[in-house]
Amino acid sequence: MIKVTGLTKRYGDRTAVDDLSFTVPPGVVTGFLGPNGAGKSTTMRMILGLDLPTSGTATIGGRAHHELPHPLRTIGSMLEAQAVHRQRTAYKHLLYLAQTNGLPASRVDEVLGLVGLADAAGRKAGGFSLGMSQRLGIAAALLGDPPVLVLDEPVNGLDPEGVVWIRTFIRRLAAEGRTVLVSSHLMSEMALTADRLVIVGKGRLIAEAEIGEFTRAGAVVVVRTPEAASFARRLERSGAHVGLGDEGELLVTGMTATDVGRLAWAEGVPLQELAPRLASLEEAFMELTRDAVEYGVAR
Amino acid sequence: MIDAGVLRAEWTKFASIRATMVLSLAVVAVSGLFGWLFGNASASDYATATPQERLEFQPLDMGTRGLFIVQLLIAALGVLVASSEYGSGTMRATLAAVGRRGRLLAAKAGLTALTALPVSVASVWLMFVTSQTTLAANGAPALMPGDPAALRLLLLGPIVFTLLALFGLALGILLRGTAAAVNISTAFLLLPILASSTPGFLRDLLHTYWPNTAAFQAVSGTSPLPPVVAFGVLVGFVAVMLITAFVQFKNRDA
Repeated sequence: MIKVTGLTKRYGDRTAVDDLSFTVPPGVVTGFLGPNGAGKSTTMRMILGLDLPTSGTATIGGRAHHELPHPLRTIGSMLEAQAVHRQRTAYKHLLYLAQTNGLPASRVDEVLGLVGLADAAGRKAGGFSLGMSQRLGIAAALLGDPPVLVLDEPVNGLDPEGVVWIRTFIRRLAAEGRTVLVSSHLMSEMALTADRLVIVGKGRLIAEAEIGEFTRAGAVVVVRTPEAASFARRLERSGAHVGLGDEGELLVTGMTATDVGRLAWAEGVPLQELAPRLASLEEAFMELTRDAVEYGVAR
Repeated sequence: MIDAGVLRAEWTKFASIRATMVLSLAVVAVSGLFGWLFGNASASDYATATPQERLEFQPLDMGTRGLFIVQLLIAALGVLVASSEYGSGTMRATLAAVGRRGRLLAAKAGLTALTALPVSVASVWLMFVTSQTTLAANGAPALMPGDPAALRLLLLGPIVFTLLALFGLALGILLRGTAAAVNISTAFLLLPILASSTPGFLRDLLHTYWPNTAAFQAVSGTSPLPPVVAFGVLVGFVAVMLITAFVQFKNRDA
């Protein structure tokens, strides 16, 4: 489990991460979502002990990264997949990382097999495609068979085949009971990969919840009736919020479709349509981060 | 103090890229070549020298003048141990794997010493052999390895070189780039050349107290300072550089 508490990082006047707190539980994929520049990578670097927080703490299973005697056996990470020496072979790259943590060379062959790079072990990393570099990055993260994994934008720039491979792989790692934190700036990607979301904008926490909660939070019930005006007032007296759609339909929030139907029956209001509609994750994300997009295009 | 696994990892990194291995071989090859070149040049000087000049002829100093150039290469070797990680971006992966930064820097210093020492021994000894045999073959005086002055060079010269490699490592950590660190180290080590054209205290500083010249003079027995002090100037300087690098490395973002 990863626990981030009051984490703050300032660069001069600019605050990249602002009093951020969240937890990453084991057994599920936690999506770390936010627009570019929201502080996701900085937060991950602080979890990994690479950047020093201005204040606050990040712990892995209760310990700070610098307290781990063999970090790779506790937390594996992929930050920049292409940060590999161009002349070094995939095998030697993994071998040196394994040696730092006292892991046997046989483990290098194992992880190369796991990510499908066994045949490319002796090739220089400079000649790798982006997809192969990502696989090598995942292999490095898995070297110590760690219970916790941190992956920064693992699908960025991959072809569709590579995206599906990484997504499936990540889900499998969580299913094995590992703690998995995956960052992305793409909601659609997280909708397919993550079970939980930690959403940040401008370095601050915007929301932290199960994926289902986001879609339920934005859910509406669409109601069409000839007695729209009077039924709308009746609904509001019962505690619902009612908006008006483009075609005169009522958009009811704060009440389930079942309760709306029951109320209409009791009041004798004829209904032409009664339909629950979940918000798409994309809509929920845009709604949540609207104020937090730092470098967004003006709309 | 030095973790065996982290040290082995440093060797794997050192041995798996071209620049470090090529530079190590180049240091030795260039030393042999310079020994031969300066041996030849000094021998022909000797052939045309006056009897008085012949009396003052210093076969060891004349034959091993190339060490002043080779020191730049050995310092660059130390630079690469740090800067190749920054250049390729592997420093973050390395630190995420090692965690404790002091442990990483200790391993890098250990690896630098363990690679620079044999390279330095090969370099100094080869230059001694090629220069003195060339001198002797051309009818000029030459020293045998058993001569006290030769013995000092053969034993202490490699240690000076190894210390200069550690100086390079500290610069590589501090400046994080190969070009910047090599430029600074080269300028620093060559600065004493200006000593004769500078006045007063600056001349003394560059000629007597500058870390690399002080140590080289201690080795050749020409320092006005007691040898231990002259040698200590370099040792102390490199220690300060390494400590500065460590403090910086520990307290900044990777």
